[in-house]
Amino acid sequence: MATISFDLVSPENLIFNDEVGMIIVPGKDGDFGVLPGHSKVMSSLRPGRVMVYGEDKNLLKSFFVSGGFAEVNPEKCIVLAESVDEIHSLEKSAIEKEIQDLESQDTENAKEQLFIVKAKLESLSTSFYEKI
Amino acid sequence: MPSLKDIKTQINSVVSTKKITTAMKMVAASKLRRSQEKAVAARPYSSRLEEMLSSLASSAASGEGIIKLLTGTGNDQNYIVVPVSADRGLCGGFNSSINRETFKLVKSLEKDGKNVQLMPVGKKSRDFFNRVMKDQIVESFIDLNVSNTGYESALNVSNKLQDLYFNGKFDKCILVFNKFISAISQDVTQQQLIPLDVSESSTEDKEDSNDAKTIYDYEPDEETILKDLLPKNVSIQIFKVLLESDAGEHGARMAAMDNATRNAGEMIDGLTLKYNRTRQAFITKELIEIISGAESI
Repeated sequence: MATISFDLVSPENLIFNDEVGMIIVPGKDGDFGVLPGHSKVMSSLRPGRVMVYGEDKNLLKSFFVSGGFAEVNPEKCIVLAESVDEIHSLEKSAIEKEIQDLESQDTENAKEQLFIVKAKLESLSTSFYEKI
Repeated sequence: MPSLKDIKTQINSVVSTKKITTAMKMVAASKLRRSQEKAVAARPYSSRLEEMLSSLASSAASGEGIIKLLTGTGNDQNYIVVPVSADRGLCGGFNSSINRETFKLVKSLEKDGKNVQLMPVGKKSRDFFNRVMKDQIVESFIDLNVSNTGYESALNVSNKLQDLYFNGKFDKCILVFNKFISAISQDVTQQQLIPLDVSESSTEDKEDSNDAKTIYDYEPDEETILKDLLPKNVSIQIFKVLLESDAGEHGARMAAMDNATRNAGEMIDGLTLKYNRTRQAFITKELIEIISGAESI
């Protein structure tokens, strides 16, 4: 089966770079799946999960991204994300504490952060797309 | 003529200086390797972002708000200059060349009747401009420590800059920093950060972006993406500059300490020779005294 090359890049390093079967990306207007041969798309992202699948549609990895951009063409998909965490490495208690901290602050910046952190918590508990 | 003891003390002090410079050189070398890796790791993101931006840039009409980061304010009266230096010295001409270049730039802009403000990054440039142009400093950033804190530190600088820009405090922003070329050479570079200068990046991959432009679907739409992209680009450019400057600092320190170690070695050789000569001279003198004393009896 065909594969598509997938790059997940954060400002600090290249996090993922391999040939995969499918990727689900949290676009600003809704999640979209990218298969090999996808038409050319450039999209900005909302905070959410980036799911990476192997050739036989088994879930390889899932990441949380706090927003960014995706560029897709038939051979390649590139996701530029500001901060990336692997979903396994997230801890519910730590995120809940972060939410509490942020809720006590009342700045514009804290509100934005809160939105991201809440999305992080949500993505930890959801199990959409885990089996396809 | 200095006594033997004087020379011995001098030798000892040079030997301990040499030990220090050798150690500093080693430390700088290992730090250099680390920050070089960081700089390399940050490259894919910034180059991708630039590509996206250059294919989008043409779609930007002159507009209000965030688009101004790309199109400019339509004025070029007020400048802000951001010299990026190190926080510590003992790295050769690294900091002074930044300060000199910035000083020259500011003077030449002022000669053309522009208003210039300064936003030094790093202790060494802050201290320097605090002495010579204190009233032009709007803000300074020290102890950014980019190789440990990473992207966050760049965000601080970038947010402050964009704040000032959208409040109409300046029309153009120029970065002055040391571009990392190799471990032993850095090049003082000026880069216009705001409004964004896309001309250079778009010329080299013009062909790519030309056909890319026509085919891409944009989601939600070009303008929204551009609005997200532009502020990020400012931050990432600053991040890149900070990383390069960090790598350059360690490179410069390594080279400077290497020179210092070599100089100390030469000095030790010279002093040792002098020490031996002096000792020999004393012995000869004493012998002559004994012999002439014996003869006279």
